[in-house]
Amino acid sequence: MRTRFPIAICFVFGIFTLLQYFSKHPTLTAMYAEILDWMQIVFVFTLLVGVISIFKIHSAKISRQERDWPYSILTILGIVVMAVLGFGYGTEYGSPFLWIFQNIQVPMQSTMFALIAFFVASAAYRGFRFRNKEAAVLLITAIIVMLGRVPLGHQISDLIPQTAQWIIDNPSTAAKRGILIGIGLGSITTALRVILGIERSYLGGRS
Amino acid sequence: MDLSRLDRRIIFLIIAIVVIVPMLFDVTPEVQITKDTEQIFDAIDSLKTGDYLMVSFDFEAASFPEMRPLASVILNHSFEKDLKIIGLALFSEGTAIGYTLLEQIAREYDKVYGVDYVYLGFRPQYVSAILGMGESIIKVFPEDYLKQPLEKYPDFLELENYENLPLLVSVADGSLPIHWADYANARYGQRVAVACAAVMVTAFKPYFESGQLIGPAAGVKGAAEYEKLLGYEGAAHRRLFTQSVVHLAIIILVIVANVSAYVWRKK
Amino acid sequence: MKGFKVISILCLIVFFVPLMAYSQIEDAELSDTPIFDISRLPVFIATLLAIIIFFMATYLVKARAETKIRKVAGLNAVDEAIGRATEMGRPVLFTPGWGGDIQRPTTIAALNILNLVAEKTAEYNCDLIFPTHDPVIMSAAEETIQNAYINAGHPDQFKPDNIYYTTSSQFGYAAAVDGAITRVEPATVMLLGTFEGEALILAETANSVGAMQIAGTDSTIQLAFFLVACDYTLIGEELFAASGYLSGDEKIVSSIKAQDYMKIIIIAMLVAGGILATFNLDFLSEWIL
Repeated sequence: MRTRFPIAICFVFGIFTLLQYFSKHPTLTAMYAEILDWMQIVFVFTLLVGVISIFKIHSAKISRQERDWPYSILTILGIVVMAVLGFGYGTEYGSPFLWIFQNIQVPMQSTMFALIAFFVASAAYRGFRFRNKEAAVLLITAIIVMLGRVPLGHQISDLIPQTAQWIIDNPSTAAKRGILIGIGLGSITTALRVILGIERSYLGGRS
Repeated sequence: MDLSRLDRRIIFLIIAIVVIVPMLFDVTPEVQITKDTEQIFDAIDSLKTGDYLMVSFDFEAASFPEMRPLASVILNHSFEKDLKIIGLALFSEGTAIGYTLLEQIAREYDKVYGVDYVYLGFRPQYVSAILGMGESIIKVFPEDYLKQPLEKYPDFLELENYENLPLLVSVADGSLPIHWADYANARYGQRVAVACAAVMVTAFKPYFESGQLIGPAAGVKGAAEYEKLLGYEGAAHRRLFTQSVVHLAIIILVIVANVSAYVWRKK
Repeated sequence: MKGFKVISILCLIVFFVPLMAYSQIEDAELSDTPIFDISRLPVFIATLLAIIIFFMATYLVKARAETKIRKVAGLNAVDEAIGRATEMGRPVLFTPGWGGDIQRPTTIAALNILNLVAEKTAEYNCDLIFPTHDPVIMSAAEETIQNAYINAGHPDQFKPDNIYYTTSSQFGYAAAVDGAITRVEPATVMLLGTFEGEALILAETANSVGAMQIAGTDSTIQLAFFLVACDYTLIGEELFAASGYLSGDEKIVSSIKAQDYMKIIIIAMLVAGGILATFNLDFLSEWIL
């Protein structure tokens, strides 16, 4: 029952979703819209699972006074404060919830995002080496595209942005298409395995 | 000294310097307009006064500094053309950001909420939201961001689903435009234009080439090109100088690492 | 009796959906719209073809004694990576990236690999840490890892606290996983799944603590970062082939075979399309699109 029931649900809804794509009949369309609504409702409940997990893990850390446990207090406080402010005063423009979001969350997240610039530099410094012919192609291509994507490239020579655009439009896109087709086919077969109940890893078991 | 094994913290310091110092100078480099940016500009420019335009703020707080100039040029252009804008967000973090930006720019053009623009807010599960709007927008968003029923805005009642929507713009920092292409374009034939983070351009390229997506205006450079098309030099233009210097610095660092590695191998 | 219960509950759900849907379309023109949308005929044919090929490949793989899959360097390194972690007395960290949810085939492929990795970590008595951004993935991973530890005969070594939800926010997740990598200094980091902007941050942080990295993703843009920053990278469909390659499971191997057959058809269509387009004959592409 524990595995058969989800597999049966998956089969019925999987086949229905697949078949309804080929029809514009109002009954099927309305049924599909109904299923989409259910998906959103189910998703909201799954968030609860996440919140419970956070509470469980961090409260255990606090009670056992594990390494860095004061940070666990901060995590739980963060969730509680934001939830209280959100439910108590709303999340509209001018609310305390939004103030915290815009003045704490946005700068913190932007800082994390900005790390990419530093890591791109360190990864490029370490990885772009003239070791063999293939690596040389990678290195030269990277330099042309980097120059071509900023006005500096155009100031040096019009040929640089033109070559950069050619690289993006042709070899890069061709390779990406090849990879995308492979990914698409992989997705099709995985989806078929899931619908037919062959693939059960999403239920926590081996196929 | 083997510079090819330079401590990463020194590299970080160099990058910090080359980001901060150029910001102190007011230099606006000359921008060349690319065909990609021209495509999204033309797609919006070809809309008639009073046409609907859906703008989806598909980005998170983290990428706001890069996405803001892009979202701004799109909204400036749309308000200039007197289009009716429907804003929404498919990432929770983009919700408040999108609303604030829309409000700010609408104020500059004396636009009225509910008449010239509405903001639908956020819906979780973007795939089902995109598909759901293809059937009925009001079913996915029965209320707007301000908790008002959509029936309250008669100017937007004609917009039932994608059928009455000539263009949708996804302002995205990640791969959401692919979902717009896969579900809104492939399934409902919705025209989707993209303004995206610079790093995402190559990921979307096959979709642009096949006509499933329109554009893109990409990153700060794309925003600067759009500003030029609109006839002004704004925030994006000022940031381009910094970007040029950082790109140059990384190229120099890579060359230094390679030369140093070669010399040490010889030794 | 069990089967009867399943069917009864299923019937309730299956009949409930049309009932709910029907209540909303009282005024709709039910009779005028045809059941089959003819404009989607090409997609229908392609879908049918994919299903036939899938079953045909399953039959062929069953009929033959052995089906070979070419060597994938990143997967050969899995044993070495776990062995290394065991020798160093440090954990293995596995994360499926921020870009996917449980519906995404990449996540399912990642969970398949996780199952095999967990069996090995259980065998070697090595800790396995699994942070994720999605509560559903967390639950599925928890069950996967627990079952793997039971299958390996070491249920006592399973640590549920090591499988945890961080946050649904992209860079919040990146910060949480970065923090975990910096604190526990895993010997091996496996970045397998759908990654977006956080890819390079995680890969570079793992590199900074000296971890061996095996990465694989379907996000073409992040592949470039992984190729530069990681020791081994699985490119696109290699991720889907990975679970079949590692487990040798006949059913997964047959779906890999099916992919190959479909690829041959696509290549043939590309060549045909290219030739037709050269001679300005657009009837095939017009019919498909």
